Amino acid sequence: MLVLFETAAGYAIFKVLDESKLQQVDSLYKEFETPEKANKVLKLKHFEKFQDTTEALAAATALVEGKIGKSLKKVLKKVVAKEAHEQLAISDAKLGGVIKEKLDLSCVHSPAVAELMRCIRGQMESLITGLPPREISAMSLGLAHSLSRYKLKFSPDKVDTMIVQAISLLDDLDKELNNYIMRCREWYGWHFPELGKIITDNLAYCKTVNKIGDRTNVAGSDLSDILPEEIEAEVKLAAEISMGTEVSEQDIGNIRHLCDQVIEISDYRIQLYDYLKNRMMAIAPNLTVMVGELVGARLISHAGSLLNLAKHPASTVQILGAEKALFRALKTRKDTPKYGLIYHASLVGQTTAKNKGKISRMLAAKASLAIRYDALGEDTNAEMGVENRAKLEARLRQLEEKGIRRISGTGKAMAKADKYHQQKRKRRRRKRRQRRRRKTMTESGVCVHIFLF
Amino acid sequence: PKYIIPDCFSGFSPRGDRGGRGGRGGRGGFGDRGRGGFRGGRGGGFKSPDGGFRGRGGGRGGPRGRGGRGAGRGGFGAGKKVLVEPHRHEGVFICRGKEDALVTKNMVVGESVYGEKRMSVEEGETKIEYRAWNPFRSKLAAAILGGIDQIHIKPGAKVMYLGAASGTTVSHVSDIVGPDGLVYAVEFSHRSGRDLLNVAKKRTNIIPIIEDARHPHKYRMLVGMVDVIFADVAQPDQTRIVALNAHNFLKNGGHFVISIKANCIDSTAAPEAVFASEVKKMSAENMKPQEQLTLEPYERDHAVVVAVASPPITYTCE
Repeated sequence: MLVLFETAAGYAIFKVLDESKLQQVDSLYKEFETPEKANKVLKLKHFEKFQDTTEALAAATALVEGKIGKSLKKVLKKVVAKEAHEQLAISDAKLGGVIKEKLDLSCVHSPAVAELMRCIRGQMESLITGLPPREISAMSLGLAHSLSRYKLKFSPDKVDTMIVQAISLLDDLDKELNNYIMRCREWYGWHFPELGKIITDNLAYCKTVNKIGDRTNVAGSDLSDILPEEIEAEVKLAAEISMGTEVSEQDIGNIRHLCDQVIEISDYRIQLYDYLKNRMMAIAPNLTVMVGELVGARLISHAGSLLNLAKHPASTVQILGAEKALFRALKTRKDTPKYGLIYHASLVGQTTAKNKGKISRMLAAKASLAIRYDALGEDTNAEMGVENRAKLEARLRQLEEKGIRRISGTGKAMAKADKYHQQKRKRRRRKRRQRRRRKTMTESGVCVHIFLF
Repeated sequence: PKYIIPDCFSGFSPRGDRGGRGGRGGRGGFGDRGRGGFRGGRGGGFKSPDGGFRGRGGGRGGPRGRGGRGAGRGGFGAGKKVLVEPHRHEGVFICRGKEDALVTKNMVVGESVYGEKRMSVEEGETKIEYRAWNPFRSKLAAAILGGIDQIHIKPGAKVMYLGAASGTTVSHVSDIVGPDGLVYAVEFSHRSGRDLLNVAKKRTNIIPIIEDARHPHKYRMLVGMVDVIFADVAQPDQTRIVALNAHNFLKNGGHFVISIKANCIDSTAAPEAVFASEVKKMSAENMKPQEQLTLEPYERDHAVVVAVASPPITYTCE
């Protein structure tokens, strides 16, 4: 009788040397107490190792569903088909049925077989020679992770770690770039100080420095692709009458290296920003539509992950990033901040200062919905974000109109507003009076209540 | 004696009770993972309605503000020195200070799995970090604090954990068994499975299995023989589930630690009756019960039963 035993490292086919032992199910475990005894009962006929994790994963998923995977079919055909008269002992009755159907091999599954499998599992390391135990455990760990990820439909492009890392890298790059540019300007300014004042754009400065090197080369060099004409003319003029000192070739060489670095980093930064935009659109399309990629990425990075961000209420999303101001205000009992990172969203940026608070609150509320949809929803489309943004823009227009009306103010509108305010004051006074009355009633006694019944 | 410098405040509370704390337990330290949870007190700008019954924000704001820190339960203040000593159970420790806490040695230094407090100990040059174990959230911790005689989970053991949920208790079991042991964590729910997967990513001795524990043959490829089965599945047929898994994966003479929720098995019967019937079912399935312990005051109508796989038949003829 042959035995099929599946492990994380591969399929093992054993041949039962002594079938009589199988008759005594209850004492079978005694035969497997030591590796030597176990080897007397079973012999490893063939071990089909999985080539790589993909094959192992395919085999494992087939096993879970009770189907015959490709590798299992191969093994069975290769080894068992040769001894078709032998029965094959397997752990899963359903699988046995499928094997019988497809490959016409008689399978057996019984309590004796189950006990046998148990014993094999206990002596797995010694029975499957040629496989160190470390390898088996490492493979089973890897296989378990891949299988679980497959089950949870883990898709690598929905990982928000990329966003968090990318935005941190973007900030780091900006800082470094700034440092390098400042250094470059200072260093080259020793040789050609006027250039720094003429060319304000940093990237253009570096490109120019790279091209001309020593300022004596300015007259001969053509800077039309880097700078506009007037500035080029200014540069050429300033080079003649510059008051900077002479520098050697080596120094210019080093400065040129620095400029190369700056240009490379600037290019990479643009690339990284594109990458970030793509990832944001893939991972959180609704949030991107509502607040923009950069603000969205910063929010996610601040909260730690998209799921964490989804767990925050809208009020938190509104002031995420302003914790210092918030706690200071809470401690000293002053007004809390109205916006945090959300301030840099385009919707908030384009309103008047008076309405920024209102828009920030509304945007935070809708954005919070968008975040939850992205983090926990099943499908990924940006419809909801677009709708919400349209709603917000309409509301924004309304607010602005109301503001404008206020300034110009038709008489009727003013009168209506005043009437509303008066009524509001009346209502407030009435409520105050009621509350005072209720308070004095309870102090004076209970009899009044009975009277009311 | 070892001295400790804890990182944050402690003070356990049952998961439901957030009254005096105003939000997640006093995580004033922004060094912990994830910021943004600042639910302390009401805004200072809150203007109470005209006098009326409630006092001005003042009376409430003050204690609320402090309440966000530790609910005045004492516990460990940051920077207070505390003592760590080993517990009777191997791999578990007790941290003594103003309040005592059950702790395990953190395998992934510097990381909190579910926001629990961590404390560092200086031992010569090495720093050992311990994580606090909340008995209100973990049945195993509640059992240990309740005085269970043997948990059988020790360093180097292979444990099968049925009902792993989000991996909070699994992480502590992983700490106890250490790098030489293994924890096979079985959980069927996908949501919890995601969190479990994250925990397992950091700890290499946890093998996550997202499968129904009712069909152990589906994950037979991933599991070897285990020494202990810990079950916290909360299902009416949990004894059968444990028996199936034991038949497949538990070594001879292995142990069971099963948590029984009376409400889950039969919500109409009295808890003691439910526990007794479960123990009877277990005896029928080749599990010999050794101890039973209720989890008061941490959980209501819960019990933990420790059993041993019925010794092989030949040994019983004495």
